[in-house]
Amino acid sequence: MIHVAPLVVAGCWLLFAYGPVRPESFATARRRMALVCAFSLLALAAVWLHMDSRAGGGKILELGGWQLALSDRGFAGMAPVLIAGIGIVAVAMADSISHSIATLRRILALLAIAMAFVAVDEPVLLALLWGLSPWIAWQELRERFGGRGVARLFALYHVASVSCFLASVAFGKIGWAFSSLLLMLPAIALRDARIPGHSWFPYFVEKAPLGLVVAFTAPQLGLFAHLALLGDALPPDMARFVPLIGAVTAVVAAALGVVQTSARRALAYLLMSQTALVSLGLGGTSEVARAGSMLAWQVLALATTGFAMTISALEARRGELSLATHSGYFSRTPRMAAGFMMMGLASVGFPMTLGFIAEDLLAQGAIEGNPIWAFALIGATALNGMNVMRAFFRLFSGRRIHTGETDLTGRESYALSLVLLALLLGGLAPNWLLSQEFGHSTRHSTRPAIHLSESSPPASR
Amino acid sequence: MTVISSTWTTALLVALPALPFLAVLALGILRWATGKRAEERIVWAVLYAAFAGTALASALLAFQLFATERLAIEANLGDWFAIGHYHFPWRLRGDRLSLPFALFASILVGVVASFSRKYLHREEGFHRFYLLLGLFGAGVELVVLAGSLDLLFFGWEMVGLASALLIAFFHDRPKPVEHALRAFVTYRACDVGLLAAIVWMHATTGGAALDFVGPGLRWPGLVVPSEARDALIVAFLLLWASIGKSAQVPLGGWLPRAMEGPTPSSAIFYGAISVHLGPYLLLRSAPVLEAAPLAAWAVVAVGLATALHATFVGRVQSDIKSALAYASMTQLGLIFVEIGLGLHLLALAHIVGHASVRSLQILRSPSLLHDHQHLEQAMGQQLPRTGGHLEGLVPAKIQPWLYRHALERGYFDALLIDWVVEPFYRTFRALDRMESRFEIWAGGEAEAPDPTSGLDLLEQRR
Repeated sequence: MIHVAPLVVAGCWLLFAYGPVRPESFATARRRMALVCAFSLLALAAVWLHMDSRAGGGKILELGGWQLALSDRGFAGMAPVLIAGIGIVAVAMADSISHSIATLRRILALLAIAMAFVAVDEPVLLALLWGLSPWIAWQELRERFGGRGVARLFALYHVASVSCFLASVAFGKIGWAFSSLLLMLPAIALRDARIPGHSWFPYFVEKAPLGLVVAFTAPQLGLFAHLALLGDALPPDMARFVPLIGAVTAVVAAALGVVQTSARRALAYLLMSQTALVSLGLGGTSEVARAGSMLAWQVLALATTGFAMTISALEARRGELSLATHSGYFSRTPRMAAGFMMMGLASVGFPMTLGFIAEDLLAQGAIEGNPIWAFALIGATALNGMNVMRAFFRLFSGRRIHTGETDLTGRESYALSLVLLALLLGGLAPNWLLSQEFGHSTRHSTRPAIHLSESSPPASR
Repeated sequence: MTVISSTWTTALLVALPALPFLAVLALGILRWATGKRAEERIVWAVLYAAFAGTALASALLAFQLFATERLAIEANLGDWFAIGHYHFPWRLRGDRLSLPFALFASILVGVVASFSRKYLHREEGFHRFYLLLGLFGAGVELVVLAGSLDLLFFGWEMVGLASALLIAFFHDRPKPVEHALRAFVTYRACDVGLLAAIVWMHATTGGAALDFVGPGLRWPGLVVPSEARDALIVAFLLLWASIGKSAQVPLGGWLPRAMEGPTPSSAIFYGAISVHLGPYLLLRSAPVLEAAPLAAWAVVAVGLATALHATFVGRVQSDIKSALAYASMTQLGLIFVEIGLGLHLLALAHIVGHASVRSLQILRSPSLLHDHQHLEQAMGQQLPRTGGHLEGLVPAKIQPWLYRHALERGYFDALLIDWVVEPFYRTFRALDRMESRFEIWAGGEAEAPDPTSGLDLLEQRR
C-alpha cells in the first residue's frame, strides 16, 4: 500500500532541495525552505484531520491501492505532520555559522526520506530509504571533517546497521523468518544508538550541525521500523530484549548526561536516554504502553528538536558551549532562556505539557510489563530533568557580564512558539489527540506488521 | 462518603488552582509575545487579584463544608486523558484537611505578594518573581485539593520548579544558582519516590485515589493496598518523597542554602508552605502509614533525627536566615514525629502555627538589626542570651564535640558528597572518558588503541 500525500510532499521537498532553482544566499534558502515546510505542514494537517473525520483513520480516496491518506497505521497517522513540524523548526532556526546551504538541502532531504519511510509498506523500499538516510548525513560529515574521525565512526556503525537491515529483508523474502527478525533488532538498535551500539551518537551530536542532527534523529525511523516491520511478530524471548536494552540505555545515558562538561554531549546523552525510554513501551502488550510509546515518540520529536535548535542558536551567538562554568546572563536573553528551559522540561515529561502525559502513560504501561522497566523510566527521567536544569543554570546564569549576544530573533521565536504551542495545547486537550490517534486500538492491534516473511516465526527459541 | 457537589462548589473548587494559573499564563504569554516587561503595578494587581480570589473561594468553601458537616466537597471534571483501563481524573476535593490548608496558603501567598511589591520594587526580576509566585500558588492549590496522587504529583512538580527558580532569583551570582541546582536535584531525586508510589498504587490497586475513609479518620486518605508488602513499599516511597520536600536528614542541606533567594520567597517557601507539603503528603497517606507500622516508625525516626540535628546545627549559625532555616527543620522534624505517632490533628495545628510564625520571622529578618536595637532601647539593657538553660543540660565533655558536629552541619553534606555524589561523578566521568577514547580510536584519529595517545587527543578536543 502506498500513501500518496506524504510521498508527494517528500517529492516536493527533494525537488526543492536539489532542483534547478538555486537560492543566492543562505538567508533566502532558509526562508524558502521554512515556507515550504510550513505549507506542507498545513496541507498534511488538513489531510490528517479530514482522514480522521471520515472513517477513523481509514481511507479517503483509493485508486487501485493508492491512498491519499497519510498512513493507515494509526500509530503513524500523524507522523508526516510531525516531520513537517520538525522541518520548520530545524530549517528556520538553523544558523548560518554552523549550517551552509548544502546543509539545509540535506536537512530537507533527510526529512523527505523520513516522510517517505512512514508512507511505504514495501520492505525493499524501506531498506533503500534506511540506507539512503545515513548516506546523506555521512556526506555532510565527510565534507566537513574528511574521511576520518566522526565521519568514519558514523560510517562504521551505519554500514553495520544498513547491512543488518538489508540482510533481514533478504532473509524475510526467502522465508527465513527467525533470522530476519533476529537481524532487524541490531539494525534498529544501532540506528537508535542503544548501548552498546551507541558510540557514534555522542560524537555525531558533538560535531555535526544541529539541524542535521535533528533531521536525522528526531523522526526516529528505528521506532517506526520496529512497529511496522516487527510489530507483535517478535517471539516473547526476543521481545524481552527490546525494553531491557532500552532501560539500560536510558539509565546509563541519563547518568552520563549529568556529568558532561560540553552542552552538545549533554544533549546527545539526553536524546539517547529519552528516545530509549520510548522502547520501554514496546515490550508491553497493553494499550497503555503502546500509546505511551507513540505519544512519547511524538513529544520527543518536537521537544528535542526545539531544545537542540535553541542550543544551536545560542552556540551561533556564543561559540562552543561549556557546562563547566556559569556563562550566561538570563535577563539579557529571556526568550531564549525560557524557550530552552520549556523545551528541555517538555522533553523530560514535566507537567503542563504533552510530555507529562506521554511519560505518565509510558510509566503506567511499563509497569505492566515489568516493574523494573517502570523504575528505570522514573530514574532516567529524574536524571534527565537534572541534566536539563543543570544545563539551563550553567548556560543562562551565574555571570553579570553580558557578552552582547542577542535574544531570539523573530524567525526563531515564531518557530519555537509553534513547538511550544503544540506541546501546551496537546497538554490541554490530550484526550482529543489520543482518540484521534489511538481511538481505534483494536484495528491497530489486528493490523499485522508489514510482512518481512510469508512464513510465521517460531513462538520462541 | 457524604460529599457536596454542585455547580457553584465545582466552580469555586476549580477557581482555586485555575485563578493563579491563568494569571501566570496571561502574564507569561504577554511577556513572550511582546518581549517587554509589563508594568509593576499591572503584574502585582493581576497576581494579587488571583490570590484574593482564591482566598475568597476557599473561605466560602470552608464555610459551606463546616456548616453542613459533610465529609468533603468534590468537583469531578472528567478524565484529563484516558486510554484502555488507565485514566487520569481531574478530581478536586475540599475537606477538613485541604480547605484550611488552601485558605491558609492563599492568604499567605497574597500577603507575600503584597509585601513584595515594595520589597522588590524596581528589582530586575520583579516580573519573574511574580510569575513564579503564581506558578507556586497554582501548584500548592493543586497539591492540597488533589483527589488522587496523580494530580497531586502534577502540583508537586510545579512547586519544585518554582522553588528552584526562585532560589536562583539573583542569577548573576554563581552561588544562588548552585544552591538552586542543589535544591532541584534533591527534589528530583525524591520525586522519584512519589512517582514510583503512584505507579505502584496503579499496579496494585488500579488507581491512586485519595478516597479511603476509615474509622477515626477526619479526612479521606490514600487507598490502602490489600497486601501488607505493597502498603509498606508505598509508605516508604512516600516517606522518601517527603524527606526531600521537607528537608529532613540526611537530605536537608539544601534548605539553609535555599535562603539565598529573595526574602519573601524564602518566607513563603521555606518558612510557610513548600516545606510543609511533605507532612501534608504524609497526612494524606495516613491510612497507608497505619497499615505499615514499620514505615510509621521510620517517619518518627527521620523526624526525631532531623529535629535533634537541626536544633544543634541551628545554634551555631551566624546569619539569621540560616538560623531560621534550621529552626524550620527542627519544627518539621517534630511534625514528622507527630504524624508517625498518629497525632494528626496536632500535626495540622503545628503546621499552621509554625508556618505563620516562621514566615513572619523570615519576612522580618532583613530588619533584624533594627528590631534588635529597638528592643534593647525599650528594655534599657542588652538583650539576654537565650538557650543557656539547654546548654546546662549537656555534659561539658560532650559540648566541644557537639559544637564541632554542629559547625560541620552534622557531616551530612560531607557524607553525601563523599559517598554518593563523588562516586557517581567519578564512575560516569570515567565511563565518559573511555567512551571518548573509543570514539577517537574507532574514528581513526589515533593510530592504535593506546590510552596515552588517545588521551592526548582527548585533551586537545576538550
